[in-house]
Amino acid sequence: MPSASRAAGRVSTFRLANGLSVILALRPASPTTSVWVWYRVGSVNEHPGITGVSHWMEHMMFQGTRQFRKGEIDRAIFEVGGTSNAFTDTDFTAYFATVPRERVDVPLRIEADRMLDARVDPTEAERERQVVLSEREGNENRAEFRVEEELLSLAYRRHPYRWDPLGYAEDMRSMPTSALGDYYRRFYGPRNAILTVAGGFDPPTLRRAIVRRFGGLRATGENPIVGDREPEPSGPRRAELTGPGSTPLLSFAWPAPPIRDARAPAAMMLDLLLGGETGLFSPRPFGGRSGEHPASRLYRALVEPGLAVRASSEYRPRLYPGLFDIQAQAAPGIPLDRLEEAILREVERIGRNGPTRAELSTARAMLARSAALAYEGSSAAAFRLGWFAAYGSLALEGKLRRALVRLRPDDVRSEARRLFRRERSVCVRYEPEGGGHGG
Amino acid sequence: MLQAAPAGAPSFSATLIAPAGWGYDPPGAEGLAALASRLSVQSTDRHPRKELARLLDRYSATLTSHTDPESAEVTVWGPQDAWEPLLELLADAILRPAFAEAEVARVRQQLRERQLREAAQPDLRSRRELLGDLFPRGHPYRSTGLGRASSLRRLTRDAVRRFHRDHFLSRSSAIVVTSSVPPPAVRRRVDRILSDGSLRAPPADPPLPERPASSPDRRDIVIAGQSQVEVRVGGPSVPRSDARYLPLLLANEVLGGRPLLSRLFQGIRERMGLAYHASSELEAMRWGGYWQARAGTHPSSRDRVANALRAEVRRLSDESIPSSELGRIRESLLASMPLALETTADVHELAAEVAYYRLPTDYYLTWPERLRAVRPREIRDAAAAAWSPARMRTVTVGPAPARG
Repeated sequence: MPSASRAAGRVSTFRLANGLSVILALRPASPTTSVWVWYRVGSVNEHPGITGVSHWMEHMMFQGTRQFRKGEIDRAIFEVGGTSNAFTDTDFTAYFATVPRERVDVPLRIEADRMLDARVDPTEAERERQVVLSEREGNENRAEFRVEEELLSLAYRRHPYRWDPLGYAEDMRSMPTSALGDYYRRFYGPRNAILTVAGGFDPPTLRRAIVRRFGGLRATGENPIVGDREPEPSGPRRAELTGPGSTPLLSFAWPAPPIRDARAPAAMMLDLLLGGETGLFSPRPFGGRSGEHPASRLYRALVEPGLAVRASSEYRPRLYPGLFDIQAQAAPGIPLDRLEEAILREVERIGRNGPTRAELSTARAMLARSAALAYEGSSAAAFRLGWFAAYGSLALEGKLRRALVRLRPDDVRSEARRLFRRERSVCVRYEPEGGGHGG
Repeated sequence: MLQAAPAGAPSFSATLIAPAGWGYDPPGAEGLAALASRLSVQSTDRHPRKELARLLDRYSATLTSHTDPESAEVTVWGPQDAWEPLLELLADAILRPAFAEAEVARVRQQLRERQLREAAQPDLRSRRELLGDLFPRGHPYRSTGLGRASSLRRLTRDAVRRFHRDHFLSRSSAIVVTSSVPPPAVRRRVDRILSDGSLRAPPADPPLPERPASSPDRRDIVIAGQSQVEVRVGGPSVPRSDARYLPLLLANEVLGGRPLLSRLFQGIRERMGLAYHASSELEAMRWGGYWQARAGTHPSSRDRVANALRAEVRRLSDESIPSSELGRIRESLLASMPLALETTADVHELAAEVAYYRLPTDYYLTWPERLRAVRPREIRDAAAAAWSPARMRTVTVGPAPARG
């Protein structure tokens, strides 16, 4: 099985005196270079009243800095033929630009400048608030998002994972713009950031450019431990929603171990066996689902017999205890009760009998192949390296892979028993109503 | 068509492109093309469903299909070192799909759910409604290929088999392989595994009614319970082979195609703050084409956004694009070529485009020169003629405006 760093390119790491971690992956033949900055800050660092501020701040990072006026950041990247974007998650926020290899200095200048000197102009912030609300409303148009929000709010009572990184709409409408500056000054800075660069470059030149651009920045940026501990659930939790949609939708979740927990590999294997793949080790370059998995257990139990039109699982590895969820969309005419029974039967079955040796063998083969595929292209390579680094260290990927291939059927079975306990389950049922009519 | 993968790329990709789009759906059997292409990747005579799925999983590979109005594509993607067995799987899907009865029923259900989703979700619904307003009844571009509940019910396994035989195994089908294996070896392999397929004459192209659609300039469709209104404006456009294609491609980039730099993004999002997404697309196919511009906004901004979209489209016909703006967008587009060649999948997509549109093999080598030769005046004239404001239609889909 190729190691992560071999698949990523020639990987080297160093740290600047101000605390910035740097990961370089040289891929000599690549026509592009991808630059990513990961801040270890996300919605987990928010609290009610300022939920959504991490994501709002992410938008503001494109609105200008000391050196770049409004609009110039996008223009600088796109005029050299590059592409750039950013995303906010629960545990981190990442910014990236991929450019033709000879233009790597452009994103480096931008990232260095906005690490400490992003402009948060109140008028621009008010306008961007509407854009962020619009992004949220676009998501609300999908039943899946509504179910997800309800699921999080049921699964967590205290922990900040109980809201989506888009934040509560009420907070996003009422939060003062001053919250942005406070948040930015506290969490953004080299001490709390990881810079990953992958693609074609000259290593000594790139290293000098990084030191020149980032080396003089003040050593700021907090990475506090979030102390809220989620109390043990005292029984199953359920909710029923209605709204526009196609067919009924069902989502189950169970509390799951954090990514650095010894149980995490077994939870990942369950994800692979039930849903057909597991995000961190998906063959697709940016994780996420690569399509249907007809050999997976949920597919065979729900889609094959015509109960559902799709069924998937997701173990969400997080810094703090996360969730393992199963989602299924009913086939037309199938009531949710039948889907619910089938899902519970399936998770009980794997807890009772465990996986077969053949299933584990296929999973191992898949993991071995996906190691190289997931790193194809400089953007994907920089993304994956940064992702694992943000979750702990580059070594985490290899450690998880080795643990995954060592798992025996009994390990997976006992994790299934521990994970899928009815008294810890959360269930959200969504029934479509209405539909459209011409006007 | 054999295409070299980027140096060192770990993946391999191969696609069959066949004249099997939903434009060929027989009247009353709408949805047949989508059903046939989806079924072709479910199971084959050699590999039942479960076994095929396990094989693909072991390779970490995918076997997928895609349908549009004109063509269907079946693509296998996976590790380079498994290219031979993966090519065999693609050949099986093309030559020997099983079309099991149970699979026909299951995929039909999946398509039915897509129909319902299309009706309930504003982004999907607005596309369907707009196309319905742009093209007359019977035109292949009028539909999104999913058919209706009643047409889906009528589709049988035999109909799928016939459609597959007549359309997938056609002499006008093309195979595109992107790989780091020496081309002669790929060629030999492709010739060998596809040799037992007897090819049929290409199907006749469907009729393309030319009568303009008679539809109102604007329709507002209400879906109660949704949060955001999708505003979509569009009109018919020219086929890929038309001389105005390149000027219109640039017009679209300026309008809303070039991410972040375009007029729609800068105006509707960055200045007005009315939408998270604001963009445009140009579809230029073999038989014709269309353009569309869209944005998602709060119900209270529905009219402002619709007016802003229409005004920006009209501006393209009324005024020449300033040279500085055109130069910036054009150079951005050209400079982004290295990003379009990063992965096997990226290169494969361009190769498939060259194969389908029968473009010269040096098409992308000469592209910069041809793109730089387009003048602002040509863009304005092309937009005025091909994107006539008289044929522009607007559809909005989402919640009703709040009553004050």
